[in-house]
Amino acid sequence: MVRALVIDDDRALLRALRVALAAKGHEVLAAATAEEGLANLALRSPDVVVLDLGLPDLDGLEVVRRIRSFSEVPVIVLSATALEDRKVAALDAGANDYVTKPFGMAELEARIRTALRHATPPAASDDGLLRVGPLELDLMHYQARVDDQPVELTAKEFELLAFLARHAGKTCTHQMVLHNVWGDSYGTEAEYLRVYVYRLRKKLGKKGGQLLRTSPGIGYCLSAG
Amino acid sequence: MGRPPVYGSALAVATAVALTAGLVPLRAHLSAATIALVLVVPVVAGVSVGGFAAGAVAIVTCFFVYDFVFLPPYYTLYIARNQDWIALGVYGVIVALVARVVSAATAAQAESQERAAQLRRLFYLSELLVRDLPVPELLETIVSSVRSAFDLEGVTLLLPANGRLEVVASAGLPLSPEQAGHLASSSGPVSLEPAPGETGEFQAVALVATGKAVGLLAVRRSRGARGDQELLRAFANHLALALERAGLREEAVRGRLLDEMDALRRALVGAVSHDLRTPLATIKVSASTLLESGVPLSPGDVKELAELVDAQADRLDRLVTNLLDMTRIQAGALELRRQPSAVPDLVDEALAVLGRSGRTGDIRWRAANALPLVDVDPVLVRQVLANLLDNAFRYSPPDSAVTVYARRTAGDKVEVRVADNGPGVPAEDRARIFHMFNRREAGGRGGLGLAIAQAFVEAHGERIWAEDPPGRNARGARFVFTLPICEHDADEEAVGREEN
Repeated sequence: MVRALVIDDDRALLRALRVALAAKGHEVLAAATAEEGLANLALRSPDVVVLDLGLPDLDGLEVVRRIRSFSEVPVIVLSATALEDRKVAALDAGANDYVTKPFGMAELEARIRTALRHATPPAASDDGLLRVGPLELDLMHYQARVDDQPVELTAKEFELLAFLARHAGKTCTHQMVLHNVWGDSYGTEAEYLRVYVYRLRKKLGKKGGQLLRTSPGIGYCLSAG
Repeated sequence: MGRPPVYGSALAVATAVALTAGLVPLRAHLSAATIALVLVVPVVAGVSVGGFAAGAVAIVTCFFVYDFVFLPPYYTLYIARNQDWIALGVYGVIVALVARVVSAATAAQAESQERAAQLRRLFYLSELLVRDLPVPELLETIVSSVRSAFDLEGVTLLLPANGRLEVVASAGLPLSPEQAGHLASSSGPVSLEPAPGETGEFQAVALVATGKAVGLLAVRRSRGARGDQELLRAFANHLALALERAGLREEAVRGRLLDEMDALRRALVGAVSHDLRTPLATIKVSASTLLESGVPLSPGDVKELAELVDAQADRLDRLVTNLLDMTRIQAGALELRRQPSAVPDLVDEALAVLGRSGRTGDIRWRAANALPLVDVDPVLVRQVLANLLDNAFRYSPPDSAVTVYARRTAGDKVEVRVADNGPGVPAEDRARIFHMFNRREAGGRGGLGLAIAQAFVEAHGERIWAEDPPGRNARGARFVFTLPICEHDADEEAVGREEN
């Protein structure tokens, strides 16, 4: 059973989500304002937070920042605008993933599942191995394997993959990836990423490539499901 | 340029007569040279007042007076002594030279004064032009100030429009249509024939800025008036630059306006997509849950989800209807179906639209006694109330009530006030809250609902505004709008409604 905190000012959506999630055996905590939501988060420690960005009392981005100031709970943001910049800002502020309204329950559940699976970021084992599903990365020797089959990667390709693996389950924005893998002077060169991710998918094969999800205009997410 | 020569001539003659009268008794005792010296005075006086022409009159007068009255034998033009011939000759040369020098000096002085006056006028006009006046006002200023500065009978300004020159402003006597037509087809300076029966002379000066003609200034002087050609041309250049600058400024303003409209349109599109997607989200979540196989839903769950789909579909339908109505109002295509309506009924209906009833305790309804009927389109006003109430409920703390208060004002209106205890609208946003489609900017408020409410209220010719909370520590937002009172007798209407 998952305890999900849903913060949205649209009461109809709250009711629908409560019924839909409860039918799947989840417990739903509903909040119509940021204040109520933050109080629920502090008092009842939900496993996952579903947060609408357009709340009446506090800007959604600010809510994400406040959540991150005291909790590592996975946060999935809901957005009713088609504009990418709000979602990117929410992800940069620490949200794990986003869903655009309107969405089907299957989509939301998949996102919740992914977020929960990677609720604790994967840590490398003592021998420097990082595992995400069938993918295994040897951080010391810069070697990657999919289902124990070695994959030849360049140093940059490996660093990109390792960064996404360390943040498995979280949608990493272009800027985050560029900053951390290429350096602080990079941030807008999304076309680099497109080329590298294309090559990575090809090299990882069918099974490995499926791990890499593209969020058009926003970023990439590596997850085991 | 000084007074006309006739005054100078008269002065010279008068001086000559006076001096002659004074000198005649003494003439036997004075030398010819002394008298010649004294007789320079009328010439100088004449020249200084009347210029060289008056000087010439003075010279001739004095020359003959000198010979006739003071050179013996007296009262004849005959000169007896040879030395007197010399004196008369020298006198003639000296006065001629004096007259020339004095008249030149006088003319130079007058000219410099004239220059100074011209410069002052030019400066004044230039000063007018650098003020950032709106173009129509600038054009009026140009023609009227050129007319007064150059003392003209008429000034007309023509600017290019649709590929030809058109009269945009004129002061004093206007151009005849033929003249305007003649000018419109011309390029560069031209002279115009006066129209039949007219006096005066026309002149047109091209206004050229940065090598490009920007217009034409047609002036009409009174006949015989001297023109300040150079000054007019110099000023024409200023005018051309001022017009060009004004044109550029208008373009800049237009550009900024377009940018603002573009931003507003984008905000509107954003708000529409947000408000349409919000009910869709609930529909999609509910429908996808109902469709998913293998999910154990209780009959109560199924009913609740189905109800949500139903209610949100209605909400979408209302929103689309409102948007269409707003568009039709703005396009002038919607006619109000006014009918006598009771405000309390409208409030109840609005609550029903929102799926609430007035009995749930989250709304306080107060109305002054004997509230008259209002003459409104009930569909639109119900929607105004629904939007304001929806907004108020959304931003109220859970345990506080929304207040609706209606009263009759002194101006034969009914004023309806919807107040909540939420965060309120910041003072600086109150004037523009109705256009703040971006909820984030408006502190969550705003959005389409208020814009629609404003459009519907204004369609009735009434006003809607956001009010300051009463008192310093009061919280919450207050939206107020007015409605016109029904002109028929309220009792009669009430009876009529019963019968229906």
